[in-house]
Amino acid sequence: MMYRILALLILCLVTGNGLAQNGPLKTGQAAPEINLPRLDGTPFALRSMKGGLVLIDFWASWCAPCVKEQPQLKALYEKFAPAVKQQQFDIVGVSLDKDKRTWAKTVARLKISWTQVSDLKFWKSQAARDYHIEELPFNVLVNGQNKIVAINLHGKALEAFIQQYLEAQTQ
Amino acid sequence: MKYVFFLFTLFFLLPKNTTGQNKKEPWSEAQLMATQTLAEQIGKKQDGQLLIVSVGPDAVIKGSVNMGPAHEPAQLKQLKNYLKKVPRNREVVLYCGCCPFDRCPNIRPAFKTVTDMGFKKAWLLNIPKNIKTDWLDKQYPVSEE
Repeated sequence: MMYRILALLILCLVTGNGLAQNGPLKTGQAAPEINLPRLDGTPFALRSMKGGLVLIDFWASWCAPCVKEQPQLKALYEKFAPAVKQQQFDIVGVSLDKDKRTWAKTVARLKISWTQVSDLKFWKSQAARDYHIEELPFNVLVNGQNKIVAINLHGKALEAFIQQYLEAQTQ
Repeated sequence: MKYVFFLFTLFFLLPKNTTGQNKKEPWSEAQLMATQTLAEQIGKKQDGQLLIVSVGPDAVIKGSVNMGPAHEPAQLKQLKNYLKKVPRNREVVLYCGCCPFDRCPNIRPAFKTVTDMGFKKAWLLNIPKNIKTDWLDKQYPVSEE
């Protein structure tokens, strides 16, 4: 248990240091609210995601590295499906697309099943400004208290963080 | 003997590594245009002779035409069809800006298409990071929405 908490703390510190190079967002601070329409046009609010760990994935269909990362996120979503079911974990995709048709087509092609939101304003998106995004792909992990717990983790580091976070929660 | 074998192996491995690092791009250094140069030309209205073409996310740059992401066959065909009507002595500036060059899937097929079609004055806009950092954040001229 102690080892897991220590590992989680180290991960938080590492990501916090990484953050200093990425912009003014910091781990521990409250996640800026995201109020954007879903793909089907219904409104979405980040605050409505209650209780669990949320991975906010900033991406766009025009961003090749982002598109390349989607199958990895899909694998994570499937791996942590029990946690998703129990509302302990979820993913929200925030797209910086401009064209709704292209966005929808890409989501369908990649068979993305988690929530997708966008104001279709490209780099002028309010979310891109609020989260001080300089390049894509970019992500943040937000805990149940709406605090940012990690910034811009990808691949194995992302998977390990989610795994350890969820394990620590069930202890 | 082992030493000779080691040197022999090294001799054959080195050129391969060197080639791997200097991956041949369809453009030369001389064909890269700095963003500041283009921004100044647009600002001084000296861009009349230039055909500025977006082959990436959006036609952000003032006066540019949007051909869409060139890694998609349909968009690349659209670029080819558009350029068919353009005189070959026209200066063409291509840009993407989705991401750094090493990760961009659009600039290579687009630039190769332009040069294969016989455009001798082809430029690739040098966008090291992305269109946000290297154009929008620098307040360079943008298309009206």
